[in-house]
Amino acid sequence: MTNQQKHVLTLGFVILLVALAMVDLFVTHVLLEPPKLGLDLKGGMNVILTAKERKGTKITPDTMKQARFVIEQRVNALGVSEPEIGTQGGRNILVQLPGVKDPEKVLDIIGKTALLEFKEVKSGSGGAAGGMLLGPTELTGDALKKAQVEFDNLGKPKVGLAFNQKGAKKFGELTKRLKGKQLAIVLDGKVMSAPTVQTEITGGKAEITGKFTLDEVKRLVLVLNSGRLPVHLEISENRTIGPTLGSESLRAGLIAGILGLALVALFMVGFYRLFGLIAWLALAIFGATLFTLLAAVKATLTLPGIAGIILMIGIAADSSIIIFERIKEEVKRGKTMRVAMESGFNLGFQTFLDADLVTFITALILFLFGIGPVKGFALTLMLGVGADLFTSFLFKRSVLGLLASHNILTRASFLGAREAA
Amino acid sequence: MGFDFVGRKKIWFIFSGLVIIIGLAGYIMRGGLNFGIEFKGGVIFDLKFENELEVEQVREVLKDFKLEKSVIQPVSKQEVLIKGPSISKDEQKEVVQALDNRFVVDETRYIQSVGPGWGSNVTRAAIIALSLSLTGLLIYISWRFEFKMATVAIVALVHDILISVGIYALVGREVTPNTVAAFLTIMGYSLYDTIVVFHRVLENSPKMVKTTYTQMVNNSINQVLIRSINTSLTTLFPVITLLAFGGETLKDFAFALIVGITAGSYSSIFTASPLLVYWKEREPRYRALKEKFAEI
Repeated sequence: MTNQQKHVLTLGFVILLVALAMVDLFVTHVLLEPPKLGLDLKGGMNVILTAKERKGTKITPDTMKQARFVIEQRVNALGVSEPEIGTQGGRNILVQLPGVKDPEKVLDIIGKTALLEFKEVKSGSGGAAGGMLLGPTELTGDALKKAQVEFDNLGKPKVGLAFNQKGAKKFGELTKRLKGKQLAIVLDGKVMSAPTVQTEITGGKAEITGKFTLDEVKRLVLVLNSGRLPVHLEISENRTIGPTLGSESLRAGLIAGILGLALVALFMVGFYRLFGLIAWLALAIFGATLFTLLAAVKATLTLPGIAGIILMIGIAADSSIIIFERIKEEVKRGKTMRVAMESGFNLGFQTFLDADLVTFITALILFLFGIGPVKGFALTLMLGVGADLFTSFLFKRSVLGLLASHNILTRASFLGAREAA
Repeated sequence: MGFDFVGRKKIWFIFSGLVIIIGLAGYIMRGGLNFGIEFKGGVIFDLKFENELEVEQVREVLKDFKLEKSVIQPVSKQEVLIKGPSISKDEQKEVVQALDNRFVVDETRYIQSVGPGWGSNVTRAAIIALSLSLTGLLIYISWRFEFKMATVAIVALVHDILISVGIYALVGREVTPNTVAAFLTIMGYSLYDTIVVFHRVLENSPKMVKTTYTQMVNNSINQVLIRSINTSLTTLFPVITLLAFGGETLKDFAFALIVGITAGSYSSIFTASPLLVYWKEREPRYRALKEKFAEI
């Protein structure tokens, strides 16, 4: 056995291992735990809220954090399963709610202005839990100037509150009346905290102390600040996809993909004869690799993503075409098929490596700076390029080398080429 | 020797110019592209009714909301797609309610509403992505190949985008964020194709013996020609099935991709390569070769 053969056999072994690993991943991630479908494929609501400045205020990462918190509270209150909330591009909040039955109600709830109120607790036990009877609204979030995390002398966290001039006066009167009683802090109708008023507070500065962890204090500060959100949230896009439309789109995408793949497969065998079968195997491995990669990054499958995958079928076939054409050329120049099979890959590889990297650069920039559907599309392109390089480098190279060294398929007619006279 | 691609550059340039001018004329005549509601703001309803109905019956109901100028397309006998200007969410509710009262809505398949400001967001993100990728590609190709090839490849790319935009203007197809994504992919593909050709040019140029740059590029194109044709075909097959069977969103992608792939395959051979020759043969070294070996 020559070194060359050993080398090729080792590579073959590596491929077998990789293929097994892939089958394993494929079974666990794709068959047992199918990929997550985007809202466009399973139906649901997709709402984009854009922050607009109020007079004399600015949008900062901090205010966006508050705004997002408010939206999270509202979405959680809806009780929709698997909601997803994210920020996008500095001033947008993206809310995705699968399988919503009453989209109008949802819009009403998440689109309204946050309302922070201070109310007297008439009866009910302490703590932020429900079951309290509340009095009328005494004070709203407008009265607050700022809430922040502070620490006492012992380093214990507490909430520091500062009221504006008008608010300070009202708060003074309120605390005088409610001394010794509980004052509920209510956000969007939900009691978030109900501290007991210890003393009359007149200076416009108050604090909430207790056995709080730092996280609890931070949360309460967010609650208090969200009532005086310096930004106004506007629904800038709302898409509601019915459940049947989603499954129909998925089916259409799959049919198109399978048909496209079949056409490519037919063409490859028609043009490259027996080598077309190698291209088939390569496409199969490419497909498995791409799905494994998609599962590994926990990608959500969307319609644009399907379009990306279908486009990648063409690009994956191209790397086979480049290699096969290179082999044909070498044969035309008088090399034997056997030699051409060994050199064809190396000559072709450089070409599609550059071409693939250019596609990757475009996709990466799209992924980083794109909005919405563009991202899913760019992601499949990037992973597709990875899968193509993997398949070409590990599978095609060693298969061609292996065949050449064992003198299999080394007649030019198997590739649909003519031997040089 | 093969086909003389570079020598007939005037024909290709005139052809490209004509296609671009026709597209431009279409653009001006139609007053720009037909932007979807994602860009200009508006509302889309896709409603399925219990019984068959006519578009005009729907328009009748929409009159009450001053929405009678909306685009109303039948999807099937029982289903219509309504695209109208931006309205408040209360009005949206009322519209669906009114249609339900009159015809009984079986299923609200799709509702999308976009505020008027949202489009500028999307557009800005697309423009940032576009200029960044062009810069990135210019740097990469200059580094791997050479600056002149990078510039020419990007000129060919702009050519493809101009042609695609022109065709979109001519056929009046709606431009959606998906179209933008597809256009950006076209960039990748167009360059992909150009790079395959330039790779061969780069490989052949040190081996030039008694030949001009023109002839060498011609040879390179002829050498990769079958590959170019086959790749375009294998890429087009799946995209065409997408256009035929893909449903509305996928059709968006497919149409833009078909236009772009065709333009991209064409430009790598008929635009980028002749331009490269024209530029390179102004270098003294290649000018000398041209004077010495050019066939008359």
